[in-house]
Amino acid sequence: MNSAYIASILNSTLRSTTPILLAALGSAICSRVGVFNIALEAQMLIGSFFSIVVNYFTGSVLLSVMAGMLAGSLVGLIVAILQVKYKAADMVIGTSLNLLVNGATSFLLYLIFGLRGRLVDNRLVSLSKINLPLIKDIPFLGRVLENLTIIDYLAYVIAILLFIYLFKTVSGFRTLSVGISKEAAESLGTKGTRVQMRMVVLSGALCGLGGTVLSMGQVTMFTENMTSGRGFIAMAAASLGQNHPIITIVSSLFFGLCQGIGLALQNVIKSQLTMTLPYIATIVALVVFSRRSMKSKKAAKLEKM
Amino acid sequence: MKKVKMSENKLASSLLRGLKALRQPALATVFGLFVGALVILACGESPFPVYKEMFTKSFIQPFYLFSTLTRATPIIICAMATAMAWRAGYINIGVEGQMIAGSFAATAAALYIPGPPVLVAILAWLIGMIVGALYALIPAILNWKYQVTMVITTLMLNYVANYITSYFVTYPLKDPSGDGLSLQTVQLSKEMWLPRLSTTSTFNAGFIVAIAVVVFMLFITKRTVFGYESKMGGFNPSFARYGGAKQVKVMLVTMALSGAIASLGGMTEVFGLKYRFADGMLTTPSYAWTGLMAALIADLNPVGMLVVSIFLSGLQIGGSAIQRSMGIPLEIATIIQCCITLFVSVKLVIRFKKHKKGNKSGIVSSQEGKEVSEA
Repeated sequence: MNSAYIASILNSTLRSTTPILLAALGSAICSRVGVFNIALEAQMLIGSFFSIVVNYFTGSVLLSVMAGMLAGSLVGLIVAILQVKYKAADMVIGTSLNLLVNGATSFLLYLIFGLRGRLVDNRLVSLSKINLPLIKDIPFLGRVLENLTIIDYLAYVIAILLFIYLFKTVSGFRTLSVGISKEAAESLGTKGTRVQMRMVVLSGALCGLGGTVLSMGQVTMFTENMTSGRGFIAMAAASLGQNHPIITIVSSLFFGLCQGIGLALQNVIKSQLTMTLPYIATIVALVVFSRRSMKSKKAAKLEKM
Repeated sequence: MKKVKMSENKLASSLLRGLKALRQPALATVFGLFVGALVILACGESPFPVYKEMFTKSFIQPFYLFSTLTRATPIIICAMATAMAWRAGYINIGVEGQMIAGSFAATAAALYIPGPPVLVAILAWLIGMIVGALYALIPAILNWKYQVTMVITTLMLNYVANYITSYFVTYPLKDPSGDGLSLQTVQLSKEMWLPRLSTTSTFNAGFIVAIAVVVFMLFITKRTVFGYESKMGGFNPSFARYGGAKQVKVMLVTMALSGAIASLGGMTEVFGLKYRFADGMLTTPSYAWTGLMAALIADLNPVGMLVVSIFLSGLQIGGSAIQRSMGIPLEIATIIQCCITLFVSVKLVIRFKKHKKGNKSGIVSSQEGKEVSEA
């Protein structure tokens, strides 16, 4: 295994991390305000779809990205209204929205383009690839950071901004307080439901952006159900990251690495088997970290005694 | 005399309750069809002829009615599998994976175990159910031992089962006689096939299996201590938490049953319709997810789920008919289904608002449920 090979794995790790990280941040802020949002998958997929649709008709990258985020936020708004405002069962809303968006995107794909399965077209414009000056000439690092898009970098900036907002601003503290005790926060004048709804819509926008990266980053195309469980992997990433934006970066990178390794192994092992890797890794990671946290909790209890 | 009167009253009140329970899903269905009509209008067609065509070619003409019932078979079974777990508060969205794992194991067993075909077939069904149950036990055990949330693990295992079986039918177990493009196993021997119930269509004895599962579900939920205990777990999480070791056993049995039932759904498809295991044969028609929606719409009531499953299956059969004849994508069926589910959930909301006591439906919100992740 030479360094070029490792660099290419790390490169695809970074690319695969972005959509997961963005959705995981969306999941984290929902959990932080006490909303269990499982419509992440729907929010991502609709973002992937509408960014490609707008891309096809306008050829503008900026408009496509905005369309993806807007579409994601709209699904987020439905979650906010039904689940937060009217307190419908989260699992019912989440699963039916995931299925609805899956069906609706296939439906629209056929209706608008007359296509089944996928949309590939040479009119589609992908996100512009960035090769940083100076760094691109450094042997190893240059290869690792080769051809990333602006959103690949932006995702980390968003994570840091979210961290600053949640933990360093008054408004952020108010937001967090809603998740800790909605009644207490409301008694101090914070509009709990409104804060929750705002965060769910924001998670929709983040997932929509993640979906956009999926359809306009590495590849420029839309495939039916192209998110294939990433929304749920993102939930796992957020939960491993304890819904903390910075730790979530680490856990998302782990899942990105699994996908990167899976892609790299495709030359050695049959792709059907390597494709299971991210899913198995998700389960294993959840188990390993939960056991650790339980052990440390037990240890803490013993110390108190 | 008095006794008779009482039982009459009981019958009347249970009928009334049944009607009341039907009222909301029926209302939601009307809304769902209304949204569907808007979508059809958006496609530039007029809704009434489309719906007429859709329902004629799903319920009214006998050939299509049989297709509807054939397609409903795995959907009914998946709905029961989902309800088995959900009514106890375990959010099993991995019915698809359990179905794939179980029915693939059954197919492999039926193909490669030597012996008299009928005996092998029985053995294969047993093996399939055991594998389905074990596959559902993985998330259950992980939840019990490590508090890993089942929502994520069950879904992840769907993809794992799908890819691994896909590997098997692409390489080691691939039918070599095929055209090279179809990824599937060889055909089962004819003696193992479930008998057809109609001479003109593919309607087969799998439907009887589905009805048997409904009866089993009714029996378990209404007549057994286990059904009660399992339900109480979902109804009152703290009861479950203080229940201790016994509650763990109830949870494991519930999930194992859910997985075993799920595998039956796949096996009726393999032994009754396709006579082999093919890549994507259970995922492409999204049987498991349609079953899940049927379970949600019927609020986990077994008879309700049976009716709703047949209805949703009819929507899909009608959907593919109008795709052929009118050029409207068959996903219209999915859109109508999901809208019905969403409208039903709005019903739960109204009920919630009226009582202000919490969700009284059979579906436990996972926030109230016991298996919400700690982090």
